[in-house]
Amino acid sequence: MTKHWGMVIDQNRCVGCWTCAVSCKSINNEPLGIFWNRVLTGEPSASASVSGAPPASQAIDVPHGVFPNLALAYQPTACQHCADAPCEKVCPVSATFRREDGVVLVDFERCIGCRYCLAACPYGARAFNWEKEQYAPDFPVGYGRDYRTGGRLVFTPVRPVGVAEKCTFCVERIDVGKKPMCVETCPAGARIFGDLNDPASEVSQAVNRQGGRQLLADLGTRPSVYYLAVDRQGRLTD
Amino acid sequence: MPRIKRRQFIKGMAGGVAAVGVGLSGLRYLEPAGVASASPLTSAPEEKLYRTGHSNNCDGSCGHTVHVVGNRATFIESAPWESSIDGKVKEDYPPRICLRGVSQLQNTYSPDRVKYPYRRVGPRGSGKWERISWEEATTAIAENFRKAQEKYGAKSVWIAPYTGSLSLIEGVIGAGYRFASAIGASAGDFEGDNEGDSACPAGFNYVLADPTLPANGGGIFDGHEYLDYLNSKVIFLWANNLAETSIPDWRTICDARKNGTKLVVLDPRYTPTAAAADLWVPIRPGTDTALVDGMIRWIIQNKRFDEAYVRQYTVAPYLIHPLTKKFLKHKDIVAGGEDKYLVVDEQDGSVKKWDDPGLSKPSLWGTHAVGALKARTALQVLADTLNKYTPEYTAKITDVDAKTVVQLAELYAGNHPAGVKAGFGLSHWYRADLTFQALLTLSALTGNIGVHGGGVTIYSGALLTTAYDIPSWFYPDKKQYTYLPPMQACDAMLESKPYPVKAAWFMVDNYAQQMSDRNKVMKALNSLDFLVVSDYVLSATAELADIVLPACTYLEKTDLLGSGNYYLQYMPKTIQPLWESKSDFEAIGLVAEKMGVGQYFHKTPDDFIKEVLHIGDPQADPTVRGLTWDQLTKGAYRLNTESVPYVPFYNKQFPTKSGKIEFYVELLIPYEQEVCDYKEQAEAFPNNPLLQKYPLVFLSTHTRFRTHSQYCNLPWLKEINNNGEGFLEINPRDAAKRGIADGDVVRVFNGRGEMKVRARLTEGIKQGVTNCYQGGWATRQVKHYIEGHPNNLTHQIANPAQTIVPNFQSNAAYYDCLVQVEKVKG
Repeated sequence: MTKHWGMVIDQNRCVGCWTCAVSCKSINNEPLGIFWNRVLTGEPSASASVSGAPPASQAIDVPHGVFPNLALAYQPTACQHCADAPCEKVCPVSATFRREDGVVLVDFERCIGCRYCLAACPYGARAFNWEKEQYAPDFPVGYGRDYRTGGRLVFTPVRPVGVAEKCTFCVERIDVGKKPMCVETCPAGARIFGDLNDPASEVSQAVNRQGGRQLLADLGTRPSVYYLAVDRQGRLTD
Repeated sequence: MPRIKRRQFIKGMAGGVAAVGVGLSGLRYLEPAGVASASPLTSAPEEKLYRTGHSNNCDGSCGHTVHVVGNRATFIESAPWESSIDGKVKEDYPPRICLRGVSQLQNTYSPDRVKYPYRRVGPRGSGKWERISWEEATTAIAENFRKAQEKYGAKSVWIAPYTGSLSLIEGVIGAGYRFASAIGASAGDFEGDNEGDSACPAGFNYVLADPTLPANGGGIFDGHEYLDYLNSKVIFLWANNLAETSIPDWRTICDARKNGTKLVVLDPRYTPTAAAADLWVPIRPGTDTALVDGMIRWIIQNKRFDEAYVRQYTVAPYLIHPLTKKFLKHKDIVAGGEDKYLVVDEQDGSVKKWDDPGLSKPSLWGTHAVGALKARTALQVLADTLNKYTPEYTAKITDVDAKTVVQLAELYAGNHPAGVKAGFGLSHWYRADLTFQALLTLSALTGNIGVHGGGVTIYSGALLTTAYDIPSWFYPDKKQYTYLPPMQACDAMLESKPYPVKAAWFMVDNYAQQMSDRNKVMKALNSLDFLVVSDYVLSATAELADIVLPACTYLEKTDLLGSGNYYLQYMPKTIQPLWESKSDFEAIGLVAEKMGVGQYFHKTPDDFIKEVLHIGDPQADPTVRGLTWDQLTKGAYRLNTESVPYVPFYNKQFPTKSGKIEFYVELLIPYEQEVCDYKEQAEAFPNNPLLQKYPLVFLSTHTRFRTHSQYCNLPWLKEINNNGEGFLEINPRDAAKRGIADGDVVRVFNGRGEMKVRARLTEGIKQGVTNCYQGGWATRQVKHYIEGHPNNLTHQIANPAQTIVPNFQSNAAYYDCLVQVEKVKG
């Protein structure tokens, strides 16, 4: 049976430290201003969306509620690697494609920069290279070289102008048996990665046991990323 | 659609634009950036991997694997951990890294780096510099130090190698001390008298390690290894925003909770840590001692203390002399008697020496007639003194309601072992020594000291420094520097008290910004005849310097990290120093040569590391005995310790006069602090008349986006942190009273100074309390606050009680600070 790569993010462990996002920037040499992975500050009960959210990180860590009855949760948000991916459907040149193992990728050589995918993604997971981007340091860091799958260029350290980009599940790492960098680096152990088609895998078990929640599930995009919602049971104050 | 709360957004979104708010061009200092331009690789690069330790002073002591291509570091990720040195123990040690660690690439290759030595050419602080050679710079330093020493005495040169790095060769236990000794200069104390972190250690010594005993060398300090929280049934994170400031430790807390451990967080702010807690207690800042006293009273009243432990391991049954307040000794009641504690035998009420073989069981309670004297037991004195802390009385002081006071006491006493992990925020108070004394008293009464999962920890890993042969490192040929802690340095510079300081050399220290009462600090530094600053960026301190030396980051030099945990982490030079930067060790060697003491620096860092660890020496400290050079340089090996995870006083041998836990502290009688009765802070306490003028407590806490003033200006970290701009957290009700809306520019002020910053209204802070993250830069070229810095507001008032612990004798009480806030018009 083919694999279906998926991820579980445990919001009970996530404390919004952004280490996942910064390691993602580092391994993927993301240009300044571009994030494949962001950590949203939200309410524990609802799923937050990044589309049209207030600018920058001005409201980071600001809780909901009225003192002292407050709530605060974090939702790291990147490409959800949807099984029914709107970005893939709208791409007029099939630059966005979904591999058999569920990983949704952008072919940098095919992308024509129409940005339909940016508009179609309900998670705001994509970014666009409008111009020659700035990087810091000003040499490529992280993986540092091109990566092709099935002959298609799905990673290049210095981005061509006019292409869309997003989380690749660190395809160059998972193809050699490593975990995506955000999973590897999460200091809280909040991320699990594995094969959703294998019922014995840690991801499948976490979803089955704890009832993983997909973001904006009612849209029918069938994401491969599941969130374990904050469980307030057993708290001493409520 | 589900209900959506959109709180956060970073550029690069659907429909967003890619214009970047973090351009590099405006940040360049003295020279255009010299980093080589982009040359992307298309084939697999020749990559070398180095294991190093991040000697950052968050105390995290993370292990980093550094990927290097050519002479470029290209990626940093977490590194593995090995067994104990003797191979007997292999801990399941989780990976350790956080966003700051990952960002070290940007730090090393930052356009903010100081690249060459510079000499000041304009007035001090004018930003006018002339590039000079290392030869010229080190000659000028040697000449000016010599001049100051001839005119004002050897001690008038102050060497300040501080906590910007916690490594051995450079930083807080670094070569600066060796240099200070060699030239007879002054220097601060490596043990931790560094600005705001020494009050809690002082409290530790009061109760657990008598500072007058030679074996304690003027004060010791340690805590539980963080993995030990897996053994706790309840964890109290006291003034500790661990999930934000000690991020890799959070995993252990999560793992512990999976097994049912309860998490209590005490903090006036609703931090990410508080948000995750089972119980959040927004206590009034500075009143923690009173809350602990309320818990102790409840535990005593309800007999929830560990009677057997208290009798065996504490001074509880010892009688107190009613007149002198000292322990009543046999010699006090019998002429020519012995210097031995007295107790009352529970069986027949007779007074006996504590070690009398005929003693059945010493009484813990009561007032007993001893000749003409009526003497109480130490526990009775404690109980009587704290009896006023009823839940209601405690609530009045702490603003924690009476029910919660009882709940906290029940949680603490009802879940054994109970571990307290304090944050250094707890230490940033005038009377933080007393708070720690109180917490240790609470911990002792409930049998939590020296047991797995218990204790009161604010820092762990000091054992590593006891494994080092510090005297051989610090005191070459038995020459010894004169001790002058940072809290006393300003007076030495300004008023020649206790003696004049006229020249200084700061290394890995940003004193001009990070020390409290910044206006005083600036005046003091400006009064110096000569100031040298070694740094890798042009810090606020470096801006005032006569000579600036370009320092290396941790990737560019050889060092050893042994701090924060129990692993020795060799730090190899992963890349050659960039531009003309040199390690502080090398810079010191060059100056030493010119001052005639070069012979003390003729060895390499590797040689010194071998010496300090006594590698190959069968007489090496037991914790490092058997360590080989191969082990040290190939991986991170753990000290050999009796307890794993490490627990201080696991053998219940306490280095106090009595050998027991001394919650009754004789040395504090002159300060009326022999037991942990709450006392008011110097400034921020309820009912201080100053509140009329300055009604808000001003905290300046840590954020995850930097470590003190390091890394504040790194693009990756700024992008996710309000573009690096500081803000004042204020409760919406306090803001409304002042007509302040979210985002308004406000002036924060008191009698010492002021700062301007934007207001951030948040329900996540208690009314009457404000907070501005410290550490942002306030230099000519980079301003993370609109004007000023949080330390313009803080004070330098030291608590005299702490002087009984020489190694921790003064503390900067950053949070003991009152301010007023007003909207800036226009």
